[in-house]
Amino acid sequence: MARVIGGIGASHAPSMEHIYDAGDEVRRSDEWEPLFGPFSEVAKWLEELQPDRLVVIYNDHMDEFFLNAYPTFALGVAETYPVADEGFGARPFPPLPGDAKLGWHVARSLVADEFDITICQELEVDHGVISPLPMVDFSEGDGGWKIPIVPLAVNVILHPLPSPLRCWKLGQALRRAILSYPEDLGVVVVGTGGLSHQLTGPQFGRVTPDWDQEFMRLLADDPERLTTYKYEDLIKLGGTESVEVVNWLAMRGSLPPDAKAVVQAYYAHRIMGYGLQTFAVDGR
Amino acid sequence: MELTRHPELPQEYLDRLEAVQPKNLPPELDLFDEQTATRGRRLNKAAYSLKDAEQRELFARDEDAWMDQFGLTDEEKDLMRRRDWIGLWRNGMTIYVMVKLSGVTGTALPEIGKQMRESGGGHG
Repeated sequence: MARVIGGIGASHAPSMEHIYDAGDEVRRSDEWEPLFGPFSEVAKWLEELQPDRLVVIYNDHMDEFFLNAYPTFALGVAETYPVADEGFGARPFPPLPGDAKLGWHVARSLVADEFDITICQELEVDHGVISPLPMVDFSEGDGGWKIPIVPLAVNVILHPLPSPLRCWKLGQALRRAILSYPEDLGVVVVGTGGLSHQLTGPQFGRVTPDWDQEFMRLLADDPERLTTYKYEDLIKLGGTESVEVVNWLAMRGSLPPDAKAVVQAYYAHRIMGYGLQTFAVDGR
Repeated sequence: MELTRHPELPQEYLDRLEAVQPKNLPPELDLFDEQTATRGRRLNKAAYSLKDAEQRELFARDEDAWMDQFGLTDEEKDLMRRRDWIGLWRNGMTIYVMVKLSGVTGTALPEIGKQMRESGGGHG
């Protein structure tokens, strides 16, 4: 049987891609070490934990899904996930390995739990997945991607959005899906996005570090309290585009209540509140 | 929108329905929702097309021919030509496709942001 052996919450942003692609020297510069340093810690933690699969709860940025048919929840059931061209040419990463069999099982289990997701046999992933993922799961050279993923996309772009409570329950349903899977797999659930950022209108660039740190504290200690927040609260606190944090809430919902926050890093820089938080299960 | 209070509908349902749409936001924190998505249909379709390298080439070669594919209004074409980012946003273009324009127009996101901040005011 499969187990949930840990959780990761991580920001995603094109800026993280630019810095990663600029190479080691830029990553380790004084400006970016506060972001990339903690990611190295997480990479090390993940190497010790040795998960067999990652379920990545993220949001697409109109790179796979568009407004002709925008899914509220969409699940990948593919063996590989190519990297999307976001308008600048795709980043030169090989397709990410998937696990179609696990994906289909999760699909059946979510539907049994009345989460009627859109099922995707083909899915290109954008920076919602591949801005944080190379930092924790990619070896340059021949190594490539190490851990197969199952991507789960949440609509946080086109209102009406699924409520924070619904996203929490999605995480709980995902947990049941993993626990009922017959193969002996250790799964780490990743939620990406946020934290505070405002990318539209006259408040462009607004970052709210106090709220971001409060969010991470609540996610660790009292996650159910976050399910009582409305989108208007989240938007006022962290910005229009910060509502991506519900992906973190879904991740947290897939973990046992007593999961412990291990790495907790936060860096407010330029137009983003960058957050990174890992959760250990059973003291690992 | 005033909801119908049919006797079959419990208050708990009406409260939930009411809560789906974020309310009382200051105008500078506008949403991408029914109104914006409806207003922005043509602009969003146009900018989304730039995921495709051929569309990017056409944009670079002949911007008007590129725009003609999407039935943009004269006002929308004008906003596009003037790189009026806040104007495009107010006309319903989401930031998620606007960034695809940042590549072909050589405008980095912070420059788009600078213009948005300096425009001041709320919703036009």
